[in-house]
Amino acid sequence: MPQLVPFYFMNQLTFGFLLMITLLILFSQFFLPMILRLYVSRLFISKL
Amino acid sequence: MFNLLNTYITSPLDQFEIRTLLGLQSSFIDLSCLNLTTFSLYTIIVLLVILCLYTLTTNNNKIIGSRWLISQEAIYDTIMNMVKGQIGGKNWGLYFPMIFTFFMFIFVANLISMIPYSFALSAHLVFIISLSIIIWLGNTILGLYKHGWTFFSLFVPTGTPLPLVPLLVIIETLSYIARSISLGLRLGSNILAGHLLMIILAGLTFNFMLINLFTLVFGFVPLAMILAIMILEFAIGIIQSYVWCILTASYLKDAVYLH
Repeated sequence: MPQLVPFYFMNQLTFGFLLMITLLILFSQFFLPMILRLYVSRLFISKL
Repeated sequence: MFNLLNTYITSPLDQFEIRTLLGLQSSFIDLSCLNLTTFSLYTIIVLLVILCLYTLTTNNNKIIGSRWLISQEAIYDTIMNMVKGQIGGKNWGLYFPMIFTFFMFIFVANLISMIPYSFALSAHLVFIISLSIIIWLGNTILGLYKHGWTFFSLFVPTGTPLPLVPLLVIIETLSYIARSISLGLRLGSNILAGHLLMIILAGLTFNFMLINLFTLVFGFVPLAMILAIMILEFAIGIIQSYVWCILTASYLKDAVYLH
């Protein structure tokens, strides 16, 4: 099983955690606030 | 003579094999962790898919997005209600982006892995268990930071008779430590077992159908069962990503509020 060679461990961990950090930044800074703004604007239009 | 070429059998584990696609070489530093392998290629694909889901679907920031954005809003609502229900209080919003990130990553990775001849990111126990150990460590540090020594009251359930306390503390401590592995193992082994099952059954059915005309026709019966298993695998992929998030949220609740 070549996936158990330690070289691949480092490769997996490097790319995996880089991806998680990038996704966390993207979601918390851009995408989730975008959906929240959308909800708030709908609320302002319909109920307030 | 023993000829390796003639006796080579494709292992069902071949699909999880990591191959180097592009390698960086330097005589000074070891850059092998930055090589482009199948694993890193699929992390990039997951990132691109999620980026596309949120950038190409917004319909130029209008009040009504495209249908794809409505699916994302449904996911947002589901995860938000789950986090609100699990963690509650005033601070649930602090932890929401992290749990949402976990959900989207595991969800997209699991669905991409269902494409034939693709690669299952979440079946790699090295990465998934490292992730769960880091979540567990973070939870423990958060609990110790918020409550100090009172954090260890988590190991004594309320209303325990005094003679039972030493035994229960040992059991609770063991179960708390086991969480670090079990969170990742649950997801990884589910995906790993599902993909192995599909390839083994499909390989057997394929060989069975090749025998003669009768087996070719009769082989559609096991093929239909494999289809059912594939649908089950889709469901497992989605459910496991939700289970990961619900457990992370409940562990966070334990660390933040102590019961």
